[in-house]
Amino acid sequence: MDLRGNMIGFRTMLVFSSRKLVSHRRWLLAVALGALVCAVMGYGATQDMADIDTASDMMDLLLLTFLLPVLALIYGASMIRNEMDDRSIIQVITSPLDRRTSYLGYFIALTIVLVVLLSIITALGGVSFFMMNGEEGAAGLVLAFMYAMCIGAVVYSALFLVLGVVLKQPIYLGLFYVFIWEGFVGSLEGAIGQYTIRHQLRVIVSDMVSSGNIANVEGDTGTATAILVVLTVVLLVLGVYAFREKEMP
Amino acid sequence: MTPIVEATNISKWYGKVIGLNNFSIKVEKGITGIVGPNGAGKSTFFKLLTGNIKTNVGELRVLGEAPWRNPRQLAKIGFCPDYDFLPGEMKGREYLRFVGGLHSMEGTALQDRIAEVLGIVGMTKDADRGMGGYSKGMKQRLKIAGALLHDPPLLLLDEPLTGTDPVVRKELIDIIRDLNRVHGHDVIVSSHVLHEIERMTHSVALIYKGRTVAIGNISEIRQLMSGHPHNIVLEGSHMVDMAKVLVSRDFTVSVELRPDRTGMVVKVDRPEAFFDAMPEMAREAGCELRRMESLDDDLESVFKYVVRW
Repeated sequence: MDLRGNMIGFRTMLVFSSRKLVSHRRWLLAVALGALVCAVMGYGATQDMADIDTASDMMDLLLLTFLLPVLALIYGASMIRNEMDDRSIIQVITSPLDRRTSYLGYFIALTIVLVVLLSIITALGGVSFFMMNGEEGAAGLVLAFMYAMCIGAVVYSALFLVLGVVLKQPIYLGLFYVFIWEGFVGSLEGAIGQYTIRHQLRVIVSDMVSSGNIANVEGDTGTATAILVVLTVVLLVLGVYAFREKEMP
Repeated sequence: MTPIVEATNISKWYGKVIGLNNFSIKVEKGITGIVGPNGAGKSTFFKLLTGNIKTNVGELRVLGEAPWRNPRQLAKIGFCPDYDFLPGEMKGREYLRFVGGLHSMEGTALQDRIAEVLGIVGMTKDADRGMGGYSKGMKQRLKIAGALLHDPPLLLLDEPLTGTDPVVRKELIDIIRDLNRVHGHDVIVSSHVLHEIERMTHSVALIYKGRTVAIGNISEIRQLMSGHPHNIVLEGSHMVDMAKVLVSRDFTVSVELRPDRTGMVVKVDRPEAFFDAMPEMAREAGCELRRMESLDDDLESVFKYVVRW
């Protein structure tokens, strides 16, 4: 297939895969998780001594540590895996579209949907807190976290998409990664805690905010960004290779 | 003439399960039927043809090229699988737009082609309905439309008649015949029912347990069906006398009377001669038959006979 054909195929994958993600019943879970974050943020804002540091810590915990990897896992690990399981992927793999192109179509569609969802939830969470509290500096904090969520959406999409291709039950390894590696190991003191996507995202946010514990995270933003870019590229190359070589009985 | 499909001693196994076993076939242009019972390896063969899976051993050429990791070739193949994969939340026409996009079709050319294939499969009226509400026959038609959309020279239809009622089955058979005769596509179509394939083509390959059992004209296959030994159940009056008459005939291999003497199973090596002689034998024995049924008048028996199982 020539370049034009690949472009049309890529666009088709993008449109239909995004639509499928959005129209799937998973959106109920996304809404529930989003509502939970907003409710907790709003409630936290009404407590004594709640200030912009509190808002920053809550966003760090609720959005960056919890919602971002969990939503990416829910959407990413099941995206290609579900199509392989219900065999609706047959239309994609029996078309002349190069599998590398279709994989990138899945990836970009997943990333766009996650970025939109997470941006909305981050904004609503921030608004919930600051409406109840009235602290200043809200916009900068919300934007910093929104930026980190968008970068995180890209990296986690690459990670969980490849898990969905190579594993029959990607959700288990995904849960292990999110809660044991990122959540537990990532919170340990010392070098080992830095080997997580979450840590690199926190480094990036720390450079943009001056409130909350996240502002004290040490590290170089350039290095953190480079690590995430390299990780994303490596995961994408792995995913493309696995998808291309995959037999689909 | 170059065959459109040529498989030479190919094998495919999934762990300990064998899908195809030293399978060889040459498929010429036109409509070719692949007939075999469930689990014979028909779907495995189609998956190999479309490059969804790769052979473990052997050589496979489709339209002169190896199909594995060859997406370019899929522009020349239209595939209709045997299972339901259509997304229920989409409308028929939307689904075809999706398929068209994957085949680098767009704009008015795509719209026109969608209208054309919907007309061919008789789905114009229902194309703007959600596919979740489609009947089995409508889904089969739309799957064929999807396979046909990019106008490929070769169509692979895996069990397209399964689960449809007799009226729809007849219409689908007519459509499949026209895909070759009117629209010029070469078609490989599978089924586990020989007479369905017989209504589409005379060129048939029988496969069983992952192997090619017989390839050729349908009349040769029919000959195999009537020529192999049959076990025939007889029920009626005067079965003992009937048994005496039967053992005097040279086509009878064995007779097994039931203890109650109201029925028997007779094994014959020339079924056609047996059936021709039956009226005369019944008269001779003074027997009134209530039931006569061959236990081996099916493909499964032919397969077992041919592979000497």
